[in-house]
Amino acid sequence: MTRDEIFAKVVEIVKPYVKNEDALAAVADDTNILEDLKVNSARLVDIILNFEDEFDIEVEDEDADAVNTVGDAVALIQEKLS
Amino acid sequence: MPWRSSRRSFPEARFLTRLPFRTRAAHAVQREVGRLAALFWVLTIVFILRVLMRYRIRDVARVRTRYRALVKEKGRPFLICPNHLTMMDSAVIAWALGGSWWYLFHYSRMPWNLPEYNNFASQWPARLGAWLTKCIPVIRGGRREDVSRVIKRVQHLLSRGETALIFPEAGRSRSGRVEADSVAHAVGRILTSVPGCQLLCVYLRGDRQHTWSTVPARGDSFYIDFELVEPQSDHSGMRRSRDFSQQIIDRLVGMEKKYFAGR
Repeated sequence: MTRDEIFAKVVEIVKPYVKNEDALAAVADDTNILEDLKVNSARLVDIILNFEDEFDIEVEDEDADAVNTVGDAVALIQEKLS
Repeated sequence: MPWRSSRRSFPEARFLTRLPFRTRAAHAVQREVGRLAALFWVLTIVFILRVLMRYRIRDVARVRTRYRALVKEKGRPFLICPNHLTMMDSAVIAWALGGSWWYLFHYSRMPWNLPEYNNFASQWPARLGAWLTKCIPVIRGGRREDVSRVIKRVQHLLSRGETALIFPEAGRSRSGRVEADSVAHAVGRILTSVPGCQLLCVYLRGDRQHTWSTVPARGDSFYIDFELVEPQSDHSGMRRSRDFSQQIIDRLVGMEKKYFAGR
């Protein structure tokens, strides 16, 4: 799976939890999931569990701590898939 | 030294989360200074609750006997997870469960709290008070690294046989009822990472507490109930933590139903 494909899937997974649609329209690697997209912090866990299902990976709590931006999420998934 | 005796009875409790020496030393200083000053601050808080605010706990003798017996029997770290309606919940719960004098001799059972930084520690007098009273301020919804650092500190304290109190809802319940879909993942994460940690779900509600507020009404009388819970999950990793957190909330919902059914 290419990086762009992972990125597109990540955005698709995050989309239902986003409260700032304008930020979603301009989403990039450095878009912060909590601060820019205004995703509720409690929902971030659901998002990461969706990553697990979608990409068939297992994410530990410590790995999830490093996920702040969309780019962080993509990098984590790439690492788990490799 | 109560915390040392509880450590002895919990031999598998090692430093599960190895914190930097400075952080561990800071905790030790905070705990010991708090302990030395406990006669002052514990009695002051109880004076505020009991005399100034005129709060009363229903069946307080029975509640304390039950809680103390539980602590004595289990002798392990305790994670207390209550419902959350007011900013004084943690103080009222600690007072209701232990009583002021008991804590002076069982200081490890005085729970560590994780108050919201902006409410309790944004200015230095409040920060000093929070430090003295076993608080570790946290910015809810803050940077994940910062929240994670606080979680690791709590894991460390529990692994030493201490007691912590964390609200499993992600804030005070705006509906006035336990919000089943508002789950703080951190409680499950802490619970899964500290083997042998006992989970105590607590339901607290003042008779005049119809919804959420800053403080309970003066002169209110509190109902308190608690249950030892052993969450189960077939999963691992984050999914296990999420299952644990959800089961805590579900139990609190059940305890709330019991409260309203008995009114």
